[in-house]
Amino acid sequence: MTIENNVNPPDITDDQRPVRSQVETLTLIRRVWPWVFLALLLVFFTIASRALNDVQFLSPRSIQGILVFATQILLIGLGETYVIITGGIDLSVGFIVGLAAVVAALIMKSLHPTGVPPLPTILIASLVAILVSAIPGLVNGFLVARVKVPPFIATLGMGGIVQGAALLLSGGYPVAEQPPYLGQLGNGYLIYYWPDHGISFFGLPEGAVAADLQQIIPLIPNVVAATIVVTIIFWFILAKTQFGQHVYAIGGNFEAAKRAGIPTQRSIIWVYTISAILAGVAGVLWSARFTSGAYNAGESTLLTAIAAVVIGGASLFGGEGTVIGTIVGSLIVATIQFGLVILGVVPFWQFVAVGVVVIVAVVVDQFGRTIGS
Amino acid sequence: MEPVLRAKNLTKRFGGLVAVDDVSMDILPGQVMGLVGDNGAGKSTLIKMISGVYQPDAGEIFLENNNVTFSGPRDARDLGIETIYQDLALAENLDVSSNIFLGREVKKRYLGGLIRTLNWPYMHEESASALDRLDIHVPSLMQQIRNLSGGQRQAVAIARSVYWNAKMMIMDEPTAALAVPEQRKVLSLVRTLREQGVPVIIISHNLQDVFAVADRITVLRRGRKVAEVDAADTTPDEIVSLMVGAKAVHEMGVIPQPLENSGSTEDLDQ
Repeated sequence: MTIENNVNPPDITDDQRPVRSQVETLTLIRRVWPWVFLALLLVFFTIASRALNDVQFLSPRSIQGILVFATQILLIGLGETYVIITGGIDLSVGFIVGLAAVVAALIMKSLHPTGVPPLPTILIASLVAILVSAIPGLVNGFLVARVKVPPFIATLGMGGIVQGAALLLSGGYPVAEQPPYLGQLGNGYLIYYWPDHGISFFGLPEGAVAADLQQIIPLIPNVVAATIVVTIIFWFILAKTQFGQHVYAIGGNFEAAKRAGIPTQRSIIWVYTISAILAGVAGVLWSARFTSGAYNAGESTLLTAIAAVVIGGASLFGGEGTVIGTIVGSLIVATIQFGLVILGVVPFWQFVAVGVVVIVAVVVDQFGRTIGS
Repeated sequence: MEPVLRAKNLTKRFGGLVAVDDVSMDILPGQVMGLVGDNGAGKSTLIKMISGVYQPDAGEIFLENNNVTFSGPRDARDLGIETIYQDLALAENLDVSSNIFLGREVKKRYLGGLIRTLNWPYMHEESASALDRLDIHVPSLMQQIRNLSGGQRQAVAIARSVYWNAKMMIMDEPTAALAVPEQRKVLSLVRTLREQGVPVIIISHNLQDVFAVADRITVLRRGRKVAEVDAADTTPDEIVSLMVGAKAVHEMGVIPQPLENSGSTEDLDQ
């Protein structure tokens, strides 16, 4: 009965098709443009640094420099990704980095002289510092989820409290006198490749003297390796687990999530705690890189991290965002900052550049939304 | 046939106003009950008692012969009374399968349950067959809800309720704000539910829609039930005159009250 097919009203899906493909195209553009932008930035800085300063922008060393630069942005950005997906914002993480760095440095400074070997000292101090940094996150989550304080206010206030705590603990000075081996850990590489001689891990190859350093190619900075591991864990949680799914649902339609039986309050408390823990990790890595602890260790990274998350496709309205997006966003922001340094631009311009990028990214997001709906 | 739902002498007062006054109603398996009435007639209040939003001041609710009381909408849902709300309770940023399994995601276990990931292949498969059973077509299960049409969203919400063993479905103005072909699709979905034995209470201002799907029609007027008739035995004109009180159905023993004596419940019935 082929005639019947003609009598039937057209399937509604047919009517929707043109709209849908337009939406799909838009989604595709939103997903791809950060990568294109990153490629364009690299090309731009390569040409500009060659033309202006006659330096090669892309070398193994400078690429790894960008990566190290990106680690703190990415670690804070990861937590911020979770928070922003729920429709919130965490403005306290910058100072939590400082608190963790100060706490870690203080513990290492006092523990090592008591006879504890360097490695256990570093390990204990790192763990305690990360645990301590989880506390402001828990309180943030409680304030937002239970007390219904707007995230902006709760975390801004918490940022002030944490900054004060770090200043009180450190007396306002960087905490130095750190155990040996810390700097080597924080600034060392996973692999050292010495052409014609071989490869070694975690340290310079045996027999290498200062004169050989020019030939030895260090690969994968330790802080980058640590950040990669942490990133994979939190990518997995967000993308593959039920908790991650609930984070998206809460940001997409809070009422629907609640009605569907999702533990919204508990999930939100966890999200802010995760954000703070990741800031704690960033603080610990900072103290290893600079062999000290300072209250302002992550102060300027808050804005760059939020920039990275938004550039990566997260929406400040909630419900959208991915770890992959935040990775590329972090690389973009780090490349801009690193590139401006290579070009010899006065460093203060970095703040202007990052600020502009954040605002442009949010405008693009809103624009895309208006077209999409 | 045993009714799935029996509402017995339900009454709800708001201060001095009687929003629903001694209304009884039986819903049989696979029956589509149209609930009609003018603004403020008590339709929404009645529905809210059945879905657990309001607690009745008097009367009882029986679900499959069990006397039930709800302290909230959650209780009613847990017992299988699903209400499809206007805002649909879907997460627009998530895809179809995610919404069907929202809050009840299925997990795969690794390392003795230490690591649990979402079991997408299973959830997609189940979602596909849930939609299939109701003859619902969406472009893709991976499609975000926000990219679906109003009718498709409605369909996903219904499929979710059916998948999670809804015993009956309450639909409040399901065709409002939909384009005509979409309305037709939703109404045919109501018929599919009936065929599968899931009874539906459908509230609509659009009598054409009600007559298109309803087996029986209950007419409320100023909080009282003034008629319950087979859709086949009546006409839209007759229903309208019942709604506005121009006709009394004496054979049912209900006499409309004079206008001056009854207070309006319009404000409460939003």
